[in-house]
Amino acid sequence: MSPSTQLLLDLQPAQPPTLDNFIAGTNQELLSRLRALAEPGCFDALYLWGPEGSGKTHLLSAVASLTLRKRPVMFLDRRPASADFFDLPGGLLIVDDIDSLDEAAQIALFRLYNTARMIGLGLLLAGNRPPLQLDLREDLRTRIGQTLIYEVKTLNDDEKAAALQRHALERGLKMDDGLLRYLLAHGRRDLPSLMAVLDHLDRTTLERQRPATLPLLKEALQLQRIPPEHEPRPV
Amino acid sequence: MSQFWTDCLARFETELPAQQFNAWIKTLRVEADESGQRLRLIAPNGFILRWVRDRYLGRIEELARQFFPGPMNIDLVIDANPVAITDTPEPTSSIVVASVDKRSSSNPAPSADNYPDYEKTRLNAEFTFDNLVTGRSNDLARAAAQQVAANPGISYNPLFIYGGVGLGKTHLVHALGNEVLRHAPEKVIRYIHAEDYYSDVVRAFQQKSFDIFKRAYRSLDVLLVDDIQFFNGKARTQEEFFYVFNALVEAKKQIVITCDTYPKDIQGLEERLISRFDWGLTVQIEPPELEMRVAILKKKAESEAIALGDDVAFLIAKNLRSNVRELEGALKKVLAFSRFHGKEIGLELAKEALKDIIGAHNRQITLDLIQKTVADYYKIKVADMFSQKRTRAIARPRQVAMWLARDLTPHSLPEIGDAFGGRDHTTVMHACRTINDLRVKEHQLNHDVLVLSQTIKA
Repeated sequence: MSPSTQLLLDLQPAQPPTLDNFIAGTNQELLSRLRALAEPGCFDALYLWGPEGSGKTHLLSAVASLTLRKRPVMFLDRRPASADFFDLPGGLLIVDDIDSLDEAAQIALFRLYNTARMIGLGLLLAGNRPPLQLDLREDLRTRIGQTLIYEVKTLNDDEKAAALQRHALERGLKMDDGLLRYLLAHGRRDLPSLMAVLDHLDRTTLERQRPATLPLLKEALQLQRIPPEHEPRPV
Repeated sequence: MSQFWTDCLARFETELPAQQFNAWIKTLRVEADESGQRLRLIAPNGFILRWVRDRYLGRIEELARQFFPGPMNIDLVIDANPVAITDTPEPTSSIVVASVDKRSSSNPAPSADNYPDYEKTRLNAEFTFDNLVTGRSNDLARAAAQQVAANPGISYNPLFIYGGVGLGKTHLVHALGNEVLRHAPEKVIRYIHAEDYYSDVVRAFQQKSFDIFKRAYRSLDVLLVDDIQFFNGKARTQEEFFYVFNALVEAKKQIVITCDTYPKDIQGLEERLISRFDWGLTVQIEPPELEMRVAILKKKAESEAIALGDDVAFLIAKNLRSNVRELEGALKKVLAFSRFHGKEIGLELAKEALKDIIGAHNRQITLDLIQKTVADYYKIKVADMFSQKRTRAIARPRQVAMWLARDLTPHSLPEIGDAFGGRDHTTVMHACRTINDLRVKEHQLNHDVLVLSQTIKA
């Protein structure tokens, strides 16, 4: 570390995920459904899918914390076991990454699905593929196909620019339009990677006590490059 | 008065698990009558009202008797004008949120109404013979089920219904149970999923309550067991079921079983059970053909009081062919989409809505796939994508591939350049600009790009 480097107190601005700070883009219908799901008395079953980085986890956590104040809620992620599933009359069950459920957990979810309408249980499930392509037990897969299905649509370039600008502002980082355009043209195009570049840029500008410039942005981008040979090959 | 409710809340908080307390008791509001002899408890919706009435009202009245010197009447009512609790509603969507709310709270009402019945029979009253669409693929099964419903225990015992997933086996057995109840409300019926039967056995085992378990099952007039293939490898469950089966058949009580395969093909089931399944009648449900899928959709739409055009019904039926359940999901999606956007259901709207379900525009698209598809299309070698050759016949397809890579993948320009033989990102930018220009001028090229884009996405 060179002597000119400013040591940082690593304070990240805390931004708990909410439905309001989700950049909706073309997902308006989905957002209104999710808001409704938080209310006691709403026993709909919803399935969200979308590629990595489309914001599924953000949405699920947002619904979980919104619901918490109104009705019982259970949020299962990271490969829940079958014992994690239990009846929650009047509540809302949220399950992330259903593609990763093992056999026993799939049966547990299957049973809950079958009684959900009867005991008044709302369901919010998420995975990275549409139900037709999910690799799950056929009886569970078709039941997910019966729910109301939403693809979480990714943002277009203008919407991404707006999201990035907002993210930069929250961190007190000045990004002029030229820099943003450069980032959008040269970075990966999923929002989390772009945000990560911004975060890195923010740290470097603070450490070196310099404003955000193109060379610094390029440096941040370099760290993000994934060489094509590391990209997963189709089987 | 409010002191009473505070006390009451405190008592329930100690007596109930936190989740149940929050879900049912805390959502109630209390109002006093002018006379001082009446207390009104206000529930946010009908479901909560019924739940509280069935489970907690007795306890609340008991607490009231302890608290008040004189008599006190307690009324449970539904909130007439509920406060819309929405988090900083956006002006564009608040109306819709409200309407979604109203629909969803009225939706579960029919099942909630029957809650005590449900506990007893576990039959879903929504499944009847009337709303079961019949076609060639299931008319035999339906006829058999109706026959059994008319003469339970006498005509075919057991009735064994098998067929693939999501073809309506469960609908059929619920319909059978409901039909029996309609003619003979005194009959004791139980619908049980094989997996739940298994956990009943486990519970009886743990609590050493096999006597109660046996009595409960042997007192039934009609036993409906769904998805018997779940008994696979569960020896104790199979043994218990074997005895129940024998006892019921002997007493001329009806058994109906569903399964995903023909009895002989069930995995991990004892021979003595399998041979018994053949005693009665075995009927199959096949996947519905196109016309029947259309009919199913129209019937479902009708029950929601929605006019569904033939063109839209055909579009959905063609895209989802394997089972009924996903047809229902697709229809639900189209309805929700049309409600939210306030548009009539038409072909274009249906296509748009179905995208989420079929996932037409989102397969894992890699640079590799794009290069191969484009090379095939223009009949050049994939290696030409990376080569240094700059003849038009090779350079143009390469530019098209770069344009597609930019359009269809999340890779950055430098990454795309790398994948095309280590080219600079400016080359990729140039390619994209060139193709954008040419698409306007050259009809053929524009057509190529569109076809390729479709092929890669499909």
